[in-house]
Parts: sequence; structure tokens; C-alpha cells
Amino acid sequence: MAKKKTAPAKPATKSKTVDGAHVRMYRIGTGDCFVVKFLAGKTETFKMMIDCGAWQGSKEVFTEHVTDLKKYVGDGVDVLVVTHEHKDHVLGFELCEKLFTKDFKVGETWMSWAEEDGAPAVEKLKKEHGAKKKALAAAGGLMARAVNDPAFHRDQNERHMGGQLLKAQERFAASVSGFVDLHMDADLAAAGGEYIGPLKGMAVVKDQIAAKGIRHFKPGDIIDDMPGLKGVRIYVLGPPKSWESIKKEDSAEEGETYDHNKELAGSDAFAAAVNAFSGNGGAGGTLPFDRSFETDMTAAHPYENEADAWRRIDNDWLMSAGSLALRLNTGINNLSLALAIEFIESGRVMLFPGDAEYGSWATWHDIPWKTKGRGKNDDGSPKHLTEDLLNRTVFYKVAHHLSHNGTAKRKGLEMMTHDDLAAMATLDYSVISKDWKNTMPNQGIISDLLNQTKGRLMVMNTKDLFADAKKTRELAPEIEKARRRMSAAEKKEFEAAHDESDLWIDYRVKG
Amino acid sequence: MSVVPNTKRPASRKLRGYAFDPSLSLQLDTVTINEIVYKVPWEELEPGKVAGQGPGPAGEYVEVVDYDPTVKKLYAPVDLNERLTLAMDGLDPSEANPQFHQQMVYAVAMTTIRNFEAALGRKVIWAPRRLSGGGEEYVQRLRIYPHALREANAYYSPQKKALLFGYFQAMPADKTRHMPDALVFTCLSHDIIAHETTHAILDGMYPYYNEPTNPDVLAFHEAFADIVALFQHFTFPEVLKHQIAKTRGNLEGQNLLGQLAQEFGSAMGCYGSLRDAIGHIDPKTKQWRPTEPDPGDYESTMEPHARGSILVAAVFEAFLSMYKHEVADLLRIASDGSGNLQAGELLPDLVHRLAAEASRCSQRVLNMCIRALDYCPPVDLTFGDFLRGIITADIDLKGEAQHEFRLAFIDAFRRRGIYPKGIKVLSVDSIAHTRSPEIGPQIGQLIGIIAEFLRDFRSEVSYCMDRQQMFDISRCFSGGRSKLNGKSILGLHARMLAKFDGSYDFQRLTRLAWADWGNVGVADSRDEYGPRFAVQNLRLVSRAAPNGDQVNNIVFSIVQRAGVKIKNGTIEPHVLKDGEADDDDSMIFRGGCTFVFDLDTLDLKYVISKPLLGPQPESGRHAPQLDEDRVRAQYEYQFETGPNAMSEFRQYFDTGFARGLPEPFALLHQH
Repeated sequence: MAKKKTAPAKPATKSKTVDGAHVRMYRIGTGDCFVVKFLAGKTETFKMMIDCGAWQGSKEVFTEHVTDLKKYVGDGVDVLVVTHEHKDHVLGFELCEKLFTKDFKVGETWMSWAEEDGAPAVEKLKKEHGAKKKALAAAGGLMARAVNDPAFHRDQNERHMGGQLLKAQERFAASVSGFVDLHMDADLAAAGGEYIGPLKGMAVVKDQIAAKGIRHFKPGDIIDDMPGLKGVRIYVLGPPKSWESIKKEDSAEEGETYDHNKELAGSDAFAAAVNAFSGNGGAGGTLPFDRSFETDMTAAHPYENEADAWRRIDNDWLMSAGSLALRLNTGINNLSLALAIEFIESGRVMLFPGDAEYGSWATWHDIPWKTKGRGKNDDGSPKHLTEDLLNRTVFYKVAHHLSHNGTAKRKGLEMMTHDDLAAMATLDYSVISKDWKNTMPNQGIISDLLNQTKGRLMVMNTKDLFADAKKTRELAPEIEKARRRMSAAEKKEFEAAHDESDLWIDYRVKG
Repeated sequence: MSVVPNTKRPASRKLRGYAFDPSLSLQLDTVTINEIVYKVPWEELEPGKVAGQGPGPAGEYVEVVDYDPTVKKLYAPVDLNERLTLAMDGLDPSEANPQFHQQMVYAVAMTTIRNFEAALGRKVIWAPRRLSGGGEEYVQRLRIYPHALREANAYYSPQKKALLFGYFQAMPADKTRHMPDALVFTCLSHDIIAHETTHAILDGMYPYYNEPTNPDVLAFHEAFADIVALFQHFTFPEVLKHQIAKTRGNLEGQNLLGQLAQEFGSAMGCYGSLRDAIGHIDPKTKQWRPTEPDPGDYESTMEPHARGSILVAAVFEAFLSMYKHEVADLLRIASDGSGNLQAGELLPDLVHRLAAEASRCSQRVLNMCIRALDYCPPVDLTFGDFLRGIITADIDLKGEAQHEFRLAFIDAFRRRGIYPKGIKVLSVDSIAHTRSPEIGPQIGQLIGIIAEFLRDFRSEVSYCMDRQQMFDISRCFSGGRSKLNGKSILGLHARMLAKFDGSYDFQRLTRLAWADWGNVGVADSRDEYGPRFAVQNLRLVSRAAPNGDQVNNIVFSIVQRAGVKIKNGTIEPHVLKDGEADDDDSMIFRGGCTFVFDLDTLDLKYVISKPLLGPQPESGRHAPQLDEDRVRAQYEYQFETGPNAMSEFRQYFDTGFARGLPEPFALLHQH
């Protein structure tokens, strides 16, 4: 990139009408870190940064990427968007705290309504999430302790099923701890999971980076007054304000998402029970029965019988930590700030949904917009604006790393019918939780995306990714194959707009 | 006067309990029917070796251990032999008394076991504990933990031979039915207890029915458990009487039963979802309407619960047809032949009769479904196989009687697109397995010898009342060389190896590998020269037919496994070494065969095969080939369709689809 472009935008340039954008995805590991430069012709009018995180990462790797990012944007960005509080979106702020707080100016910081500390609804939500995070960490700790306990090993392993059950439980415990990692800082999780506040990365943003204050957005908000974004309108789609939608991962109806699970119920009760069990307090400690029914366990009780030790159930109840983890994960994903960025004149749209899952997507279609869509329904009436925005989407940041529930099907991808659609996905198998590999990438989404983008699908790292469940068709050649469906002109245009290095992938969006 | 001691034992122990679950006791219209008296077969109960320190109750089949690991509390066991408790038909139903919870799980589990024993004509034996190194250990009692989990879940653990029930704070959708934040106990729901007990019984019969080799297997486990819970419910006439009377002459009785079936399930959340396929309330008329079956559903629905609900709906429709058929005359009599009943309340006599018919039909459906299990292949079950099992079992027991009931089943399955594979015409005769299949004279003679041997088994086992002895005898008779009570026994496994090793004829009959087995990925026998296979579940079945005849069968299954790799679309058999797990690119492929022998005629009545091998030529010695269609179907399912239909929970927490499930049923109930 030429040095000249990184010069700070002068007030004069801010009044030019934007007609395009340069989207850069940093290849930082499974997780999001984007820079969007808005352009008027060749002049850079506005710089937006969205998230900086990965599921895991060393300071070295992050430093290399963030240093490049700073060079790319110059002195800072006009807006920093932090979509939601998961490590794969905020870890970079923790690891590169100094880089972001020194010689880096951030104009505004944008977050969702759910990050407005002090607001009663938000405090309630944080308290609930905090209790769940605590419970999840506690359950993870208890399971880890159990599978490492020699007595448990003896009971489950010796003579019993050749240790199959033990192995399965070890795997399970590892999976749970993966989810703990996503939600909690490592030192806290290791210390027994006393949840005391937001992830460090989030705290760094709120307390230090967002010096000029944080703007919070709710669905239905429209941002069209930013200097430097003349000709651009930003629509806020999510997160929904209704709690039920946040908890909802999937729709019960088939064809709504790329999977059809039911909501995971009952894990709230489990969270309360675990917290009580591990002395974290809360209401779950109320005993179910009057104390007069209790009796003391003695060595003579059959439960204590050594020959029957294989039938003990001290740890089985902790398996519920699995559904708790998924619910919590979904709950926070659905709190993602989801933005549709429209180039007003052409109507072309860039969609940045964070990690929103179905529960969020579904609500976008109920937002009471004051304006109607440009397109028409079959009966001639104007479309709901959300559907219309999806119809006009030419760039889609794939939600939740190509997972099965990250993209709504009927109310999402199927509506992205624009001929110029391109997509970027932040999936990288070299940096990912082992268990995520089972849900990411989802083959249904891959095949629909390949189809609808004609191969304009840019994945952070295609290594070890396959386009089919049987793992016979590698993804990279499949993408190449899909690209043959572009016309010669489209192909030429795509190649000109697309560039990549070891650190990033760039795509220029025509406004 | 001296007191003459009473030496007669009662036939049953009466125990009060909820007919549904506690929530219905809070509704005025159902409170009167929610408490029923379970009549559990009388048995001696262990009150506990040390006072208050035993399990409670613990009998021959189950032991209730009321330890709650989530609060580290042990609750004193209920003593059902206590004088006053006996006189009161057990403790009062109460959510607040854990001892009543113990009584409730005991009563319902035993009722379910009794239903199975009555239908199967033999004792229920739990799946043995599998030991490292291939051994098996008898498990006398299923352990029941009424308070083990802290969520809306309950499951059967095949690893621990235990039922684990959860409790949780209610977050009800319907606040009129459950008080918010009130504790809800899954161990107080008849349906949940019956459902989980059925999982345990089924696991004792067919351990491979929780191996997901096709989309029907897990769905079947769920659906079957639900069918048992549902129809067990309908066998309580007092429950039906009240509801039939309540509808005051509006005798869309069939609809009422459907609605009831759904309500039973809905009280406890997710357990009702299997029954959603039965019908729904019409938003306009507010009337319950059965769902019109869509044959496309069976083709496209892969998630185990949704798929299971298709089977539940099919069986339910068969039940309704039977009931309609049985009460048609009653309705004509009660309406002077017009079929239109007068307005106003129904005569109590009519209510009584209708309820009795519904209850009888339920028992019949329950029996037909349970008996069918003896006529199913031991692996890779499909709904179609189950239908064939139902029809074959019924013909085997009842001959030509009550032909119309079989038609009701076939029709209900047909309407949902469930057709058995390889059937040319859809009729009772063709769906039933061929009776006395053609077997050449040579094989016939060998089978005769096997049958003689099975008679010895019968004489050993038929007067044995002790379940552990039964287990031991069956094991000796199904295994290799062993000693039983000082007698040397050469078991079925050894005999079959000796007789059929290398037999192309037997290979043709069973479509399992008996010759050139190494070529199809089947390992050598551990003990002697020959192919490896396992004999499963040797059992004596005695049932009384309605006409008074006694049907005496001996049933056993054999299972064989092959290792298969699929490379670039071609099937490569691959003999798995001992201890070699199926790795990422190989698959375990099983075939199996259930044999039904008539002990009185020594006739081999049925051979119900799930072929390991493809179609064999009529005669001669041909190198075997694996059943390519089945291999491909399983591969497709385990690597494509199945994983896609898995719940998110399993996608995250299992490393593979077909292997290493820690607790298969725990996960299934995680919606």
C-alpha cells in the first residue's frame, strides 16, 4: 500500500461522497479483525475498525498483525466497532493493549445496547451472564478435577469398558474447558472461575481505547451523520432487545437455519445448582427437601460399596455443563452488534453481523423501520427494509465463522440474491478449538455461499477445510471451481478487487 | 384359640402414585384422575441391611438409591413393608417427600417391567456389564437415582445400568400449570419413568440398537420408549373413564384419545415433543385434529426425535383404528342403530365399556409392539423391520385371528411412507417373514441337531425362576465350552462354528460370512478355526395364544462384524485387529440374524436377517461380497446425513458420530 493513503483524512476530503470501500480481514486465527476504509474515488474519507480477536493467540502473532494494521490505518481510526464480548473478537485488545493505547487515535467507539454499563436491563443481563460464566468455569473445574482424580480413574477404568467411558469423559471435560476459555480470561478460569467483570480485552476498550466515549446502538437505529461518510447510511439490525430472541440459537422450523436443533432448555437451573455447589452463592443452594429426610452416608451404604463403585454418579450431573456452555455462547453471540452499511445512491450494502445467530437474524425482519424497502414483493407492495437490504447485499462478513447456526437460511442467506455478492469468512483451522471443527464450516452454508457468490468466497485459511462432510473435496479447489461460473468481466473485476498477503486478505467493494 | 398364621402371599403390592405428573393434581378437571393405585407384583423388598442405610426400595429388578450428588445428600429409604405404609397403599403422593419419589419410581418401573414380561413371556434381564477384555458380568438390579441431575432431563446410562433423573426450577411457558421457580421433578412423571425404563429393557435385549447405523435406529429407541409410556398410560381405565365421560356425548372418542395422548406428554416439556406428530388443535374450531400423515416426512426427517415421532404417530393411528373397530357395535347399540348419540351426559355403563375397550386395545398394541422385538434383526433396525416384526409376531401367536388389527398397522405405516425393504406386495402375507424358510436337506439336518440342543436348554431353563441362573444358563448354552453345575456343555457358539464353518448353504440362509470370511473383513474366531461372530440373547419364549395354545419358541440372534474402508468410492473390506478401533477412514459394518425355533416341532420357524453379505447365488460356492447397498447406506448416513442431523450438543461434545458416545441417551434428550 502506498504510504500516501495512510495520511489522516483532511476535513475537505470528508465532504466527498463515498463510492466504495476497502475491506481488509486480518488473518489472525479464527476470530474477527477487520478494517474498512471508505473511499471517494481514490480519497480515503473514513476508517472503521471492527473487532480484534482470535480464539487463541500469542502476543507475538497479534503484535505482528496489529503493527501492520497500525501502519495500514496511520494514526488511528474514525470508528472502532466492538461487536460482542467473546475472545475471538476482543483478545487482541488485551494482548496488544500498549499498541492500541499509544499512538493510536480512536474517534468514536460503537457497541451494542447490551454494553451500556449501568443501564438496568444491561446490568441484569450481565448479572445473568456472569452467573452462568461462573457456573461454567466451576463445572469445567469440577470435571477437570474429576477426570484427573486417581480414584475416579480406578472406578471408571479398571475392568470397565476398557476405559471407554473415561476417555469420553476426558474429551467432554476438554470441550467444556474450551468454552470456558472463550468466555473467561485464562488466569480467572484457572483460579477457579471467579467471574469479576468483562474480558480483559473488552475492559481495555471501554476504559482506555474508547477515550472519546462509547455510542450504544439498538435495532432500528440509523447512523447517517458521520463526517466522512457522506452518501453512506448505516442501519443497526441487532442485537434484538428481547431476551427470548437472544437465547434462541435456532428456529424450530426446518429450513430456517442450516440445522434444526431445539433450544437448549434447563441449563439456567443447572447454572444455579453448580454455583451453589461450588460455593459461588445464588439461589440454587436451596435444598429440595426438608432436612428431616436426610440421613448420613455410612460405609455400609450400597452407594459406598467398592465393588459397585462403577455405578456411582458423583460427576454425571456435570455433563449439563455442555448445554450451559452452548446456551451461554449463543446468548452472547446474539448480543452482537449487527450492521448493514448502505451506499445510498447505488443501494449496495455491506453486511457485518458479528457472530449473530438465528435468534438475532429472525428479529431483523420485525424491526419497525420508518422507511420501506426499494424492492417490491410479489403483490407489488414494497419489501420490508431488512429483506431489501439483504437483497442488495454485495459484501457479507460471514457470521460465526461459517458455523451451522451463524447464518440464517431462509431469513438470511437465501435473501442475499445480488449478482455481485462476495463473502469473507474468519475461519482458520490452525487456530481453533478442536470442538469447533465439528460445526465449522457447515457444508450447507459453504455450498450455498459458493453458489451465490460464484466463488467470491474469501476464507481466512482454507488449509484442512473441506467442502463436504466426507472430507473428499478440499475447499480451495472447490472455490476455484465455483469461480469459473463468473463471467469474464466479473472475473476480471474480482481479481482486481481482491488481494492478499500472509497477514491479510483485501477486497474492494464497489459502492 | 391359637392364631393361624397367614402363609399366603399377596399377588400385588398396591402403591399410590401420580397417573401423569404432579402438575395435573393442581388442575381441578384432572385432579381426580391424577392419583391412581399401581399394582406392582408382590416381591420381598430389602428394607436395608442397616436401618436407614439400604437402598430403598430394592427388589429383584431394581434398587432405588436416593443419593443426590448435586447437594451431597442422602435421603432415608422408604420402607414399603412398614405396617402403616402397607395399610395405606404406600405413602401419600407428595412432591415434598423424597420417600414418595422413591415409591413412585419403583412403582412405575416395576409396572413397565411387568408389562414387558407379560408380553414377552419371559423375565427381563438387564444388559450385562461389559468388562475390559471382553468379559461380561451379570447385573441383577437396575439402579435408579431419583435425584441425580439438575436440569430438565432424565436418562438411562448403559454404562452404569442406571436411570438418572433430574430436577430443576421451573421456567414454565404456561404459568397456570407450573408455579414459576417451583421445583419440578422428572422422577414423578409416569411417562418419563416408563420411557427410561424401556430404554434399559431394550438395551438388555439388543445392545446394538443404540448404534446409529441408519436414521431409524436412535429414532426407534426414542419412539419405542414413548410408545410404551403412552400405551401403558392408556391401560389405566380409570384415567380414560373420566375423560370419556367429560366429553358429554360428543363421541369423537378417537380424537379425544389423541388429544389426551399429547397432553400426557406435554406436561413435562420435551417428552411431549415425540407426540406432536399425532395431531394439533385446530386454531379455528378449537378442536383437536389428527395430523394428516405426509409420506415425504419419512424420507426427509432425520433428526432422531422428529423421526421417532413418525413412528409414534403410526402406532397411534393403528391403535385408533383398532379402537374404532372395537367400539362400533357399542355405539350402534347406544344410539339405537343411528350412530348418533343423544345429547347430554353419557350413561355410566357406556363410559365404562368404552374405557374398557380403549384400555384393552392399548394393552393389545403394547403387547404387539413389545412382542415384535423377538422378530427383529439384532442390528441396524428400521421402522420397516419393526412393522414386519409386529405382523410376524402376531401371526406366530394368533394365527389367522384378528387379521384386521394387522391391517390397521400396515395401513398406518403405509400412510407415512414406511415400507419394509425388499417387499414386492404390500399385504399381511408378504410383510410377515416367511414361515419355515426353505433350507436344503443338509443344512436342515444340522439345524435339527441345533434344535435338539436347544431343547436341552429349555429343560435347564424352563423351571428356573432365578434370573441370575437364567443368565448363567443362557451364557453357557450360547457360548463355547463351559461347565454348568458340573456338566460339560458345548454351547451354541461352538456348535455353530463346528457345523457351519465353511458352509455356503448356511451363508446363503443367513447372509453372514461362514466361508471366505477374511475376504469380507470378518476376523477369525478367537477360539477355534472359523469366522468370528457372537451369539446374543438366547431366550425361551412361552406365550399363551388366545385359543389356549401354548407357543414355545427359542429365540437367539447372531451378530457378525466386518471392517470396511471406503476409498475413492470403492468398498475395501478390512479385517480389524483386536483392540483396533475404527479410525477415521474405516467403519464397522455389522450384519446379524435372529432365529426363531419352534420347540415342539423342532422347526426353524423364522430366520430374520440383516445381511452382511450381498445376494448369494442359489447354489454353489461363490466368494462372498459385502452387501454393497447396506455398506453405502450406512456410510452415507454416518458421514453425511447423520452428522448433519445431530444436535449442536453432539456436534460440539462428541468427536465422532458413530463412536465413543459417553452417554447416548443423555445426549438424545438434550434438545
